Amino acid sequence: MIRKSIGAATLCAVAYLTVPGAGAQLPTLSEEERQANIELGLAHDTAFALYETLQERAGGGDRLEWDALPDWSGVWSRPFEHIALFDPLQNRAEPPTAQLTPDYQAMLDRKIEMVSQGFEYDPLGRCDPPGMPRWFTEPFLREHVITPDQTWLLNEVANEVRRVYTDGRSHLPEVDRFPTWDGDSIGFWDGGRLVIHTNQLSPGQYTRGQPDYSDQVEIVEIWEKVDEDSIVVDVWAYDPPALAAPWYVRQHYEKLANDDGSLRIHFWHCFENQNNDVFETDEGGTDFVDFDFTDLDDD
Amino acid sequence: MNPSKPSLRLAVSSLTAAATAAAAIVLASVSGPALAHHAASMFDRERTVELTGTVREFQWTNPHIWIQIQVANENGDMEEWSVEGGVPNRLFRAGWRPNSFEPGDEVTIRGFPMRDGGRAALFIGARLPDGSTLGLYE
Repeated sequence: MIRKSIGAATLCAVAYLTVPGAGAQLPTLSEEERQANIELGLAHDTAFALYETLQERAGGGDRLEWDALPDWSGVWSRPFEHIALFDPLQNRAEPPTAQLTPDYQAMLDRKIEMVSQGFEYDPLGRCDPPGMPRWFTEPFLREHVITPDQTWLLNEVANEVRRVYTDGRSHLPEVDRFPTWDGDSIGFWDGGRLVIHTNQLSPGQYTRGQPDYSDQVEIVEIWEKVDEDSIVVDVWAYDPPALAAPWYVRQHYEKLANDDGSLRIHFWHCFENQNNDVFETDEGGTDFVDFDFTDLDDD
Repeated sequence: MNPSKPSLRLAVSSLTAAATAAAAIVLASVSGPALAHHAASMFDRERTVELTGTVREFQWTNPHIWIQIQVANENGDMEEWSVEGGVPNRLFRAGWRPNSFEPGDEVTIRGFPMRDGGRAALFIGARLPDGSTLGLYE
């Protein structure tokens, strides 16, 4: 029986990928609030200048105590409908909402052209971690662990852990900095909101089909649990080589139903199964090294 | 149980240009390959392949599950195919379990085949021995 693959292809988009979430209504971002946050980013020349303004507004920030920690427990995930977008508000039929420099616009154009020809390689395939700020976009399981001195933001993908130091320490001196996957994150609490500044990042891409970022990218975030099932994160990315203006977006994370405790985050090892071994082809695409389960599948 | 002879069936699309464009937009935005830990450009999402055969092994592993299925090709020779699925935790939430496929199960699996003709596919859906289905399987 021949089945038209358009039907299968379209429905596959939601078939085994459609999973039950918590059923929470996603918080909305009004255009007024969005523009105000964009203007807030534009009003500061650097990410750290924005962070300092937020810290000043918070009176320096709050010190958490062990007996009064915010409750961000549970297992969380990014809504499926935000897949492959850094800005959840981006219309998929239109370009990313970032204002790119000419060089990085050319890089994005080239990337999209390559993908349209069937050539795409993502280092995630070799279990390179997503890194910051791509970390925001990964659609798998997340957990948050809050202590007075640090907050750990855990992502299932590549076992990635972001450490946010809220004990008052500053960033490493410039002479001691070097590019890292998830950067150096410092922050403070402003009531129930966690404000973070991150530097010391390695270059990467916001996610597949989205712009690249340089090793000069710096990120400011404001995390807030707005209801029992929703966390929103206002994000400003500053990246002079790549961004002509700060890129403001709001991320959403929803709490997953897990009353029976069956959802557990497990270690992620790309080569636990040899079938997962992929490589970059000479054309810039991706292919499997081999399928080596039995001699029946050997050529 | 003596199953019918395992078979391999390749379903080829007959898409209009508009349908192809629509599929491309949807797939580019929300398809399974977007959730793969690797770029999935090696799969041909314009075509489907249907594999009816015997499960040899089911790998419930991060970052992708794999189903190894033995099928008879057009010449009647047995060959093994590797079918890639999603992340275990995501599939678990969609009703999959580590024993959703058992060695010896007679199943039919649909997937997107490899562009280079390799014996692998990206999972779309399956019909299990008890008649139940996983993924998209009409």
